[in-house]
Amino acid sequence: MRPGDLIGRRLRVAGILVITGLLVEALCLVWSKPIAFVVLVCIGGALIGLGVLFFLYSLVSAPPHTTSSSGSSEDSL
Amino acid sequence: MPTFAIVILVLFSAVLAGVVVVRPAITMSRAGKILAFGVFFFLPLFSLVAGMENQMQRSESTAFCLSCHVMEPYGKSLHIDDPAYLAGAHYQNHRVPADEACYTCHTDYAMFGTFEAKLGGLRHLYIYYLGKPPQPENIKLYRPFNNRECLHCHLGARSFEQGATHNADPATLPAIKANSLSCVSSGCHDTVHNVGRWGDKVKFWDGGS
Repeated sequence: MRPGDLIGRRLRVAGILVITGLLVEALCLVWSKPIAFVVLVCIGGALIGLGVLFFLYSLVSAPPHTTSSSGSSEDSL
Repeated sequence: MPTFAIVILVLFSAVLAGVVVVRPAITMSRAGKILAFGVFFFLPLFSLVAGMENQMQRSESTAFCLSCHVMEPYGKSLHIDDPAYLAGAHYQNHRVPADEACYTCHTDYAMFGTFEAKLGGLRHLYIYYLGKPPQPENIKLYRPFNNRECLHCHLGARSFEQGATHNADPATLPAIKANSLSCVSSGCHDTVHNVGRWGDKVKFWDGGS
């Protein structure tokens, strides 16, 4: 697996986590029941937090940038 | 920040994140990297903080407190057409903000009063959804109502400082201010919500919001 594919896949996972968390948050904001706050923090917050952490992990775990002719310089991020 | 603005921000963030998820190749450029950092780090965290702040403010509203079934009679007591009912008299005459009536009286005006109120609210949620909530008439305060909450507004007010009953005995006013003579449980202003003890003669005022 090329490094770019790996980072791209991690970005996708991070993005899906963040998007799911944001959608949960949007639902909680229009939901008037008292439990909305708990759902927002426990589920929405956890998903967003995981997504952000996974995104940061994908950055720090990225292999060193190379300029060889193998095409690795076109890797995402 | 208004709720609709936060919802729009959240959905906007989700759409932008979706763009990066669908086309991760756009992160190859410098602008794409900045976009990815914005939509995967800055915007989600900002949206989350804004959403939590919004929910915290919403939890202070009268409508929020009354959205639990066991609180319905207490909300009804705010509309009792009898000035002897302390909660109703305060609510109907806007001595407390009508949209934050419960929170205004039932939050300690001390350093960690708001924090304690939020923790208490979480406990109420736990009992409401996972425990066995008591009947409305059996709900009691965790501790006796502190005069500090009354004096937050009434201290220094002419009606309080020069009230005939408050000054009938020279020891009364200092005792009230020292919280050794309770405003609400010493036979003076002891008709507050009185849920479960209204009887048939009580009438309700249908005005206000």
